[in-house]
Amino acid sequence: MSTALVCQEVVELLNDYLEGTLSSEDRAHVQTHLDACDGCTSVLAQLRLAITTTGRLTEERLPEDQRATLLAAFRDHVQDD
Amino acid sequence: MDTVRASQADLALLERLRAGDEAAFMDLVDTLGPSMRRVARMFVSTDAVADEVVQDAWLGVLQGLAKFEGRSSLRTWIFRILINIAKTRGQRESRSVPFATLAGDDLDQPAWEPAAFIGPGEPGAGHWSTLPFDWRGLPEERLEARETLAVIARTLEGLPPMQAEVLRLRDVAGWSSEEIRNALDLTETNQRVLLHRARAKVRAAIEEHLRSVSGA
Repeated sequence: MSTALVCQEVVELLNDYLEGTLSSEDRAHVQTHLDACDGCTSVLAQLRLAITTTGRLTEERLPEDQRATLLAAFRDHVQDD
Repeated sequence: MDTVRASQADLALLERLRAGDEAAFMDLVDTLGPSMRRVARMFVSTDAVADEVVQDAWLGVLQGLAKFEGRSSLRTWIFRILINIAKTRGQRESRSVPFATLAGDDLDQPAWEPAAFIGPGEPGAGHWSTLPFDWRGLPEERLEARETLAVIARTLEGLPPMQAEVLRLRDVAGWSSEEIRNALDLTETNQRVLLHRARAKVRAAIEEHLRSVSGA
């Protein structure tokens, strides 16, 4: 990889940058770019916000009949032991 | 091989399950159930069959509890049981689902539209052609609003199912990447690419939404 990364390359590396999975060399290249590029810095901040916001999603509970069936299976299993 | 082994919390939970603690079992069912349903549904033809697969997986878990040695995290172990049953069931239905259907057929493409950048051969090639819409300054309420969450939920529903599930497990349920790839039987590369693409699409959907509500 050439030393200077362009924005189009950097945005494809930002997720690995956030996940901490870049090599130290690549990480340094991305950092150098970010220090000088407001557009990519903005995108990085947006990715962080997107991740935090996604974390606010909630899951629906399983239907009650399924929960009841599973609980019954668990009770059977405990009794068999 | 897993380097993520059962945690102290896993081992404590395991003891409670082995002792017949119903509340602990139902907690686990409620925590993992929705994701297990979606994962099962990737491999079989209907919601009803997926529900049967989930039931069978839990029976498998109960049968295996005594023998579980903690060489992976508890939830990874449960998902492996689930996926084995789901795949077997899918084969019995003669339903072979190509990986590209689950993961998306564009994994080798860049996640970003080339149009956002100055084209090759021009001065400044590869740099932003116009700066991305900057929504860092918008009030937090905008981001936390119900509509924004609905936009994210809709985006996930539109993603290839494996992309959506990798993102849900990572960003909603807070699993480590390694647990996710072990649980869903993904290579390290595929897990990384799936997460990258899913997050890029969620970010883009939020941008589009915020741009429209802020009149930018």
